[in-house]
Amino acid sequence: MRRGAILSLLLFAATAFAADLRDVKDPAKIKELFPRAAKLRVVNVWATWCVPCVYEMPELRAMAAALGREAAFVGVSADDTIPEADRAKVAAFLDKQKIGYTNVYYRGSVDDLMSYYRFEGEIPITIAFDRAGKEVWRHQGPVHSAEAVAELRQILRRMR
Amino acid sequence: MKTLFVSMLLFAACANGDELPIGATAPKFALVNAVDGKTVAFKPGDGKISVVFFTCNQCPYAKAFEPRLIEIAREYQAKGVAFYAIDPNDESQYSVESLAEMKARAAEKGYPYPYLKDGDSAIARAYGARVTPHVYVFDGTGVLRYRGYVDDSAKAAERRTSGLSNALDELLAGKPVSNQATRAFGCTIKWKG
Repeated sequence: MRRGAILSLLLFAATAFAADLRDVKDPAKIKELFPRAAKLRVVNVWATWCVPCVYEMPELRAMAAALGREAAFVGVSADDTIPEADRAKVAAFLDKQKIGYTNVYYRGSVDDLMSYYRFEGEIPITIAFDRAGKEVWRHQGPVHSAEAVAELRQILRRMR
Repeated sequence: MKTLFVSMLLFAACANGDELPIGATAPKFALVNAVDGKTVAFKPGDGKISVVFFTCNQCPYAKAFEPRLIEIAREYQAKGVAFYAIDPNDESQYSVESLAEMKARAAEKGYPYPYLKDGDSAIARAYGARVTPHVYVFDGTGVLRYRGYVDDSAKAAERRTSGLSNALDELLAGKPVSNQATRAFGCTIKWKG
């Protein structure tokens, strides 16, 4: 009985997490998803089909947790760039990874996305902006949480 | 000092190169064709317009462009254009990129072009390729006239521009290529070394 109750609780906890996934077509709208209070706004472009992106997801979760409210994260899934893309798969992946920050299911042109964020086609890419929208940090390839947090904390200190 | 210089040279050689600029001469290569095990040599300036593209077995974005590349190759081979598909991914990290797997994929999909193994990723570095798929078009004198994506979207219904076929049409018509460099999107090359 007790074991059953614990199992039910665990199952509830496992299924209760629901990722915040929004449909966006215009890259310029992504910045509107950040809370006003956040001093640093971090955008991560990724896809479930991108091996290094999947590998780095726990690092991003750790980064977001370590930086707290001063930094806000928005993930941008580029999954929809291929014909067999599956939105449900992206949501399920984010749930499984327990990603608490907002993610975008990007439905626009990948060329527009690359132009907007000025990157040359490789993902993952992670870019941090200040409140004014000025880029203050950029990392191409999978992030390493400890290093990235140290760098972003230094940037935050300079902002104070 | 000499050691430092050699180290710097080695670093430069190992770092992924800048992308080949428009107007540059094609780096030549001789690579094993996974289809039949024979070596295929690309000799720039042989008079043929040539398409060199980097692709692979595992990348979903590259696979999404596969039918399109086969369609374009069939259409333009009939007009005298040569096509070379190159897999630069490290098979020691990803066994799906082995010659045997490449051969199987080429047969399954009916590739109309050789599927070449760039085992040490050296040719991809020489071209400054970053992702799969990444396309380069050379004129008959071996000069780079287009580089970047196949099309701006892997979804036919959402396609706004076709970088590769536009470049080929203009070159075949003896015109300068209007859209010479585009941003290739895809999976990062899984570099050897």
